[in-house]
Amino acid sequence: MVAPTDKSADKSATTKEAKPEQPTQQTSTAALEEDDEFEDFPVEDWPAEETESAAQTASGNGTTQHLWEESWDDDDTSDDFSAQLREELKKVEASKRR
Amino acid sequence: MNTAYTPVTIRQGFGLAYQSQHQYPYNAPANPPQPSNTMSPSSDQQQQKFDWPQSVRNYVQRTFQASNEIPGVGREEKESRLKEIIRSEQEKGTMFTTNWDEMPLPQQLIQKERQQALMAAVDPATTQSKSPSFAANSKKRKSSDFSESEQTNGSPVPWRSTKALSLEDRVSKPANDKRLLMDGPLTGKSKFQKNVEKRQRRGDGGYQSSYRSPSPPPPSGPIVGLNESLEKPYFRLTAAPKPEDVRPERVLHHTLDLLKRKWRKENNYNYICDQFKSLRQDLTVQHIRSEFTVSVYEIHARIALEKGDLGEYNQCQTQLRALYRAGVKGNPIEFKAYRILYFIHTANRTALNDAIADLTTAEKEERPVKHALNVRSALALGNYHKFFQLYLDVPNMGAYLMDMFIKRERLAALANMCKAFKPELKLRYVTEELAFESDAEAAQFIIDYDQELLQERDDHIVFLTAKAGQTFENARAQACSRVDLKGQI
Amino acid sequence: MDGLIRQFRVAYAATNGEQLAETLTPDVQAHSAKLRAIWGPGDLRSMTADLNFLFHQDQARLSIRLSKEETSGWYAIYTAYWKAIGEILAVKGLRNGAQSSWAKVYEAWKDLTLLTIRGYTNHDFENWTIPCLYVTGRYLRLYAMRADAERVLSSDNTAIDDLKDDFDPQAEENKCLEDCARHLNRIFQICASDRAPLEESRKWGVYYAVNLLFKTYFKLNSEPLSKNILRAISAGRSDIPPIDKFPKSQQVTFKYYEGVLAFLEENYVEAEKHLEMAWLMCHKDAQRNLELILTYLIPCRLLTTHTLPSAQLLKPFPHLQKLFIPLARAIKKSDLRAFDIALRDGEDEFIKRRVYLTLERGRDIVLRNLLRKVFISGGFEEAKNGAAPVRRTRIPITEFTAAMQISGGEAIDADEVECLMANMIYKNLMKGYIAHERGTVVLSKSGAFPGTKV
Repeated sequence: MVAPTDKSADKSATTKEAKPEQPTQQTSTAALEEDDEFEDFPVEDWPAEETESAAQTASGNGTTQHLWEESWDDDDTSDDFSAQLREELKKVEASKRR
Repeated sequence: MNTAYTPVTIRQGFGLAYQSQHQYPYNAPANPPQPSNTMSPSSDQQQQKFDWPQSVRNYVQRTFQASNEIPGVGREEKESRLKEIIRSEQEKGTMFTTNWDEMPLPQQLIQKERQQALMAAVDPATTQSKSPSFAANSKKRKSSDFSESEQTNGSPVPWRSTKALSLEDRVSKPANDKRLLMDGPLTGKSKFQKNVEKRQRRGDGGYQSSYRSPSPPPPSGPIVGLNESLEKPYFRLTAAPKPEDVRPERVLHHTLDLLKRKWRKENNYNYICDQFKSLRQDLTVQHIRSEFTVSVYEIHARIALEKGDLGEYNQCQTQLRALYRAGVKGNPIEFKAYRILYFIHTANRTALNDAIADLTTAEKEERPVKHALNVRSALALGNYHKFFQLYLDVPNMGAYLMDMFIKRERLAALANMCKAFKPELKLRYVTEELAFESDAEAAQFIIDYDQELLQERDDHIVFLTAKAGQTFENARAQACSRVDLKGQI
Repeated sequence: MDGLIRQFRVAYAATNGEQLAETLTPDVQAHSAKLRAIWGPGDLRSMTADLNFLFHQDQARLSIRLSKEETSGWYAIYTAYWKAIGEILAVKGLRNGAQSSWAKVYEAWKDLTLLTIRGYTNHDFENWTIPCLYVTGRYLRLYAMRADAERVLSSDNTAIDDLKDDFDPQAEENKCLEDCARHLNRIFQICASDRAPLEESRKWGVYYAVNLLFKTYFKLNSEPLSKNILRAISAGRSDIPPIDKFPKSQQVTFKYYEGVLAFLEENYVEAEKHLEMAWLMCHKDAQRNLELILTYLIPCRLLTTHTLPSAQLLKPFPHLQKLFIPLARAIKKSDLRAFDIALRDGEDEFIKRRVYLTLERGRDIVLRNLLRKVFISGGFEEAKNGAAPVRRTRIPITEFTAAMQISGGEAIDADEVECLMANMIYKNLMKGYIAHERGTVVLSKSGAFPGTKV
């Protein structure tokens, strides 16, 4: 579990103080939840500065666009590809004629 | 930090707002009842407090419609039962999620209970005390003395047809999930059946009713049948079955033989289906879950497939799945493949996803399953070329399932072709790409949508794609209207 | 019970709902000593006597103002809580050899939940106390899952009902969770239908309840029920405050589920909207949840805007890197074979998360990129009259066939190639038409591959 920065409403802080009764038991109710479920947040609310949006735009230019990129890649279009294509084309033409 | 809750310092009149949760706004009017009476709230305040969904209001309306009256069930009884039903749903918290459209009307429930009471009075053997767990009685694999010589074990069954069947034989009924829902709600069985359906269609987007009918007391253990007749018509159970009505397994084996012969000879589906249902019922009430049971369900399923009866097929499939899971031997690969094809037909993404999750790596390599998975992925990417090639060679009886959605896929392919190929295509190309049996069949298919799209040339016919406009796109959209298969981008 | 009721009174005096809810929180791990103290010697009669005293005779009870109804409600609740504690301690082996089961825990907690609900419907509980409803609902769900898991491990599940033609194969699988769903639905209803003025209304509990329901319905694979709730919230329920007035934790959770629901129905544009909002608003340290959101957001964007996650986006998530980077790379390199392999390698997890069927459509993008490469490598045609040179637009289908064979690593027949070309055109990934007789594709002179700068 991640320790949130806002401790005032942080109930999970108390789990650190309690002595674990049995070392093998997992901490808190997270153990009861499915591991692929959306987790309960340890705090109910948080200020805008602590959102992911704030964290991502802090470094960049104020948007999160830089986190996504185009799906094509022009750097890859090289003479190599053209050469390969020509080679393969010969095979295709040959099999067509058959 | 908490912004959502403002502590209350002054108590307002909460007491008023929450009294009598269980009062209902509807009260019987003093005047003679009118058939299509809607609720007349005795107190507006109370009615607004419970925002009843429209489906509940409709339910109330139907209850008092003249066409739904049942002789012998009076108005007061109806009202009182209605209140009970609604209150019960409220308390259980299911008012918004119950399928009220399918809920039996209060008068129907009353009538059914009277019938049961009557039967109990007539035959004391049917009223028995609740018994402990039935599970201990279920019979595991029974070695069957029943000859399985005609079973597939992966190879074609005698009645598996090739594509040379005539069109009449291929008449397909629409996917009939709803068929069982239209069964009269008058009997106990149908409500239990609804729960079965509910579970079956959990991923299917079907209705999810949490309604449970009051269950008649179960008997104290599996009965052993005494009925020696080979054939027996099917009746829905409304009370626990009597041993004299149920055929023991020994007889059922002979019954199956008989039914197989009769099916081959007479091909009378209604009769056969009725007999099979009766067979299944006898197996169920005697808790017989053996390889014989599996073979019964498998055979019935294949017959249903052949006749395009998806409702019956689906029931059998559900039972088979549970039986295979419990380790009973049969032809799980064959039926896993059918399952995938079925979900392709119903375009049920969730079920498809889960069906794939259900497969082991080894199973994915088995021919029928591999074929079905290839069909799925070909369609997912719009590769109609590959799809129709797969249609030409389908293991077991999968072709019948594919028949269910072949028209839709042909429309989709034509929509593709009309947009991409200009100005025209040889009809022969369409015939071959879309696996029509002949140019004539292909031509007929196209003409059914637009007569002007075919033109004669010197020695061949062309399909004028450029002239088709949105014809096939619209037809495709309509055929896929349950789910937009193209996605909504 | 002494300490517990003292806590109760302190919380009540301060009208602090969260503090009050803590008195009903069965956090065994953190507070097992406290819970054991509450259970005491485990004697119902003496506990009852204690409670009786505390609620009806103790002078200290007058420090807060409780109506007779409220008193009766809380009395019943703490009694039920005590009993539940007993089962919880027993099932965890913390009760001197006493035994229990999660099924029993669930039943006991359910009793508590029903009584808590009744507090609002019958005992005039004030709405600031509503965190108590949350904590009971929350644990009800957790215990239900435990109870169902326990049952699966123990016995043969088949429920046999002799009045059916066939067995009911799945009767028992999620019995407790389904039962739980009904009670959570009740909680939702009493929140949504509250008519008190907004400052005191239980409507502020609506999203908490809805999120519990979403989690439950998702576990039950019951999308239709989730949609019912969505409908109940959105259409026409204008008396529920707008969602942005609720705490962020509830907004983010709600948006996540709303997004995943839309995703599963292939409403990718809508799904992206919700998931993006959830992601932006999520707490920056909530790794697990951020990862879950991205698990759906990434496939979503692949289909809506054909964009891929950058290395920077994936940096904090090694698991997502493993899942998505091979795919992303194959797409960028227009490598069909690599794509198929990456999809197969990740298949199990993609299927588990229900994103497989979405991701496989990424193959269209691979293909589009490949054809685009062919287009570009075809060079330019003679410029006419000083006009800007235009790329060659008439391309023999054989060139596409060749490209696909290189990229796919295997032979492919001409008809299939044309089919796939037709697909590209149909899906607006490529603009032009196929001249079948001539064996060429005629691409549009402007924007042959929309959105890719050529």
